Amino acid sequence: MNGTFSVLDASKLPSHAFEHRSPLWWGIIGLIVIEATVFASLVASFFYLRSNFPQWPPDGTRSPELLKPTLATLVLLASAIPMYWADSSLKQGKTFPLKVGPLISIALALVFLAMKVVEYRDIGFRWDTHAYGSVVWTIVGFHSAHVLALVLKTAVVTTLAWRNYFNRKRRIGVTVNGLYWYFVVIIWIPLYMTIYWASYFLSN
Amino acid sequence: MTSHERIQAIDSSEEIRLLTEVWRSPPGFFGWFTHVNQTSVGKRFIITGFVFFILGGVLALLMRLQLATPENEFLNPDLYNQIFTMHGITMMFLFAVPIMEGFAIYIIPLMLGTRDMSFPRLNAFGYYVYLIAGAAMYLSLFLGMAPAVGWFAYPPLADAKHSPGMGVDFYATVVTFMEISALVAAVELIVTIFKQRAPGMSLNRMPLFVWSILVMSFMIVFAMPPLMVTSIMLALDRTVGAHFFTPGSGDPLLWQHLFWFFGHPEVYIIFVPALGMISSIIITFTRRPIFGYTALVLSLVATGFIGFGLWVHHMYTTGLPHLAANFFTAASSMIAIPSGVQVFCWLASLWGTRPRFATPLLYVLGFFFIFVIGGLSGVMVASVPFDTQVHDTYFLVAHFHYVLIGGAVFPLFGGLYYWYPKLTGRLMSEGLGKASFWLTFIGFNLTFFPMHYLGLQGMPRRVYTYLEPLGWGDLNLFVSLSSGLLAVGFLATFVNVFRSLKRGRPAGDNPWDADSLEWGTASPPPPYNFRYIPVVMGRYPLWEHLKNQEVPVVTGIRSDRRELLVTSLLDAHPESRSKMPGPTVWPLLLALAVGIGFGGFIFHNIFPVVGFILSFIAIVGWFWPRQLAREAREESS
Ligand code: HEM
Ligand SMILES: [Cu+2]
Repeated sequence: MNGTFSVLDASKLPSHAFEHRSPLWWGIIGLIVIEATVFASLVASFFYLRSNFPQWPPDGTRSPELLKPTLATLVLLASAIPMYWADSSLKQGKTFPLKVGPLISIALALVFLAMKVVEYRDIGFRWDTHAYGSVVWTIVGFHSAHVLALVLKTAVVTTLAWRNYFNRKRRIGVTVNGLYWYFVVIIWIPLYMTIYWASYFLSN
Repeated sequence: MTSHERIQAIDSSEEIRLLTEVWRSPPGFFGWFTHVNQTSVGKRFIITGFVFFILGGVLALLMRLQLATPENEFLNPDLYNQIFTMHGITMMFLFAVPIMEGFAIYIIPLMLGTRDMSFPRLNAFGYYVYLIAGAAMYLSLFLGMAPAVGWFAYPPLADAKHSPGMGVDFYATVVTFMEISALVAAVELIVTIFKQRAPGMSLNRMPLFVWSILVMSFMIVFAMPPLMVTSIMLALDRTVGAHFFTPGSGDPLLWQHLFWFFGHPEVYIIFVPALGMISSIIITFTRRPIFGYTALVLSLVATGFIGFGLWVHHMYTTGLPHLAANFFTAASSMIAIPSGVQVFCWLASLWGTRPRFATPLLYVLGFFFIFVIGGLSGVMVASVPFDTQVHDTYFLVAHFHYVLIGGAVFPLFGGLYYWYPKLTGRLMSEGLGKASFWLTFIGFNLTFFPMHYLGLQGMPRRVYTYLEPLGWGDLNLFVSLSSGLLAVGFLATFVNVFRSLKRGRPAGDNPWDADSLEWGTASPPPPYNFRYIPVVMGRYPLWEHLKNQEVPVVTGIRSDRRELLVTSLLDAHPESRSKMPGPTVWPLLLALAVGIGFGGFIFHNIFPVVGFILSFIAIVGWFWPRQLAREAREESS
């Protein structure tokens, strides 16, 4: 074996990496791509199943109401703002927004979930009524489970924030939590368009 | 490089002691459940994969025993259905994909010159999920309630009305589980390849095996989610009465589309890593740079893309619009182009050299032969009229075994002989290896070639027996006897694996004079993989190091905690140091929680909720920072 000589002293490199320099960031991007493919498969199934029915939503099912779901969507979209505020303040070293921002986001997400529960409690069809019911309930249920998971995850992050765990250097946990939050919010837009607008226009 | 101080890196035994201490996996029975090092997890994947290969092989032999004579009554029809279904599930989900991941997990970090994967705990989690899924599947077989609907479980046959009992429920759950495991491994491999290559290993210097694993991982990321969706839909149809696949209301063809959108790429997910193994072996045994590196990389990537355009060729007989059929016929033929380019590059690499005909290379040459035949019959079934004719006959069984065994299992065995010394520190016996190769090769062709003929005669697949007057008896008996020969061939390799553990010749670091970094450390590698992270100057780093007096390395990575070097995506320029987690039991607990959620769903609707809550607890336990105060102090300094 030959001898070795050092061409690089790594001790001078930083011990923290942010955004695309951090492996964790890439890991979350991978998760997001996977989940997006999952939702895309669900949306594709929605349109595929539609071709089996002369009418969509099928006979006997009202086409969806648009006002309340749109309001709920706006609430969900709004929940991303405090999250962004917390994340970007932390980059400048301000830790206070991280203590309250996520709490506002969580509250908005819970409002969204409550609106969904009320809406689907008396929507008039179930997952075992027809294929339309199956796919709509699956999409909404799956997305709501994501929102719920997000709320729980963010609650943990907030707890850590109150215990002063995060700082300017140690913030990758907040960044990836935020990324995931934006994803769950943004992916709702095509889902919302599919199950409300597409259903609404296809029925006419 | 940021600094060129030519300080001599001195090996201090104190540092080695520290490194060993922090990277060591805990010993003992309870320690076993906390391992996270990539060498541990990779080895587990490989061993478990081979165990399932043997189980699937035993099932195949049972089928051949049943088919040896006409109107045989050794297996009853229902049991036969369970067995061919379990054979297919085992080989496709529990053997082929996980074992390729296993080799990747073990070899890739070594090839990249890093100390572990990016997310070691996730890695361990993926393994437990795999283990739970495989165990559940075989539990269902031993309880006599395995699925009996073929490995692709088409509804309406697979729905609750036509397949009562729990077989298909097990199927849907296990399939979902295997996808989780594969997706976890894929993300991890991608990130490790992107961010942890040794300094200087820019993308265009990456070994071809690494490229092939990258392509495989991307294919998994896009192919597995639709399958996950569709297997969950099937579970919902069966358990809570949803109507995704109910004829008349939903559509059984939706399953076929989603399944084959995964199922065709699946074949390439198995096949692409095998291509990488072939390149590694050819480079080493010709001792020359490969011919057409760029062409090989491009055709790997092209194979990845085209693999997604082909799923409909599994559905020709469902009656497609004409134009669609023509399109998919053309696309299916197009896949021949990248395959052709690769074969050409390999032949050109072998041309005019005097390769060492060691066992790994023999398996590669066996691959060439078998794969050409498999490719030819593939081009035949890629055309709609011919496929309609031989659809669901033994011609197809012959074709896909030529592709799968020739295309993946032969290179895999080559890879086993090739990397075994790295894993164990000892070489496998060459004599027994060559004997095993020839038995396997001859046994394989004698088993599967005659099946083409049986298929053209009209013998359908998936039937438990056939009538005497059809005159298929002699050939079937011949096929069954040959499958015994094939089994002996495989067995010889497994005997070789065990014998060589103790009796094999000590291998040293680099027994084959290979070029890539995994051979630049001890065999088996120490828990920290590399004492110093090497710096790479070309495509064949170890060969370049041979020429130089001294090997350039990185120093200054901490030895008193698990730490590794993170580099940039394109050029592998050093960026930062990253602290890695150590042994922990949380991945196992999370896998169990997820198992309760999905597995319990077969029995009651409440379990997904229970699983959700337990998983949440496990995730918090996993990520909760251990010593808040201490860490905070360390960071601010
Ligand atoms: C070890 C030697 C093997 C033998 C003797 C063998 C034999 C067979 C036979 C006889 C069948 C047809 C059953 C029927 O249609 O009635 C079959 C089906 C199948 N085999 Fe193999 N096989 C072997 C290895 C493999 C491997 C390595 C793979 C994949 C990597 C594989 C994948 C499959 C699949 C996917 C099916 C279709 C199952 C179904 O119809 O659902 N086999 N095999
Ligand atoms: Cu295919």
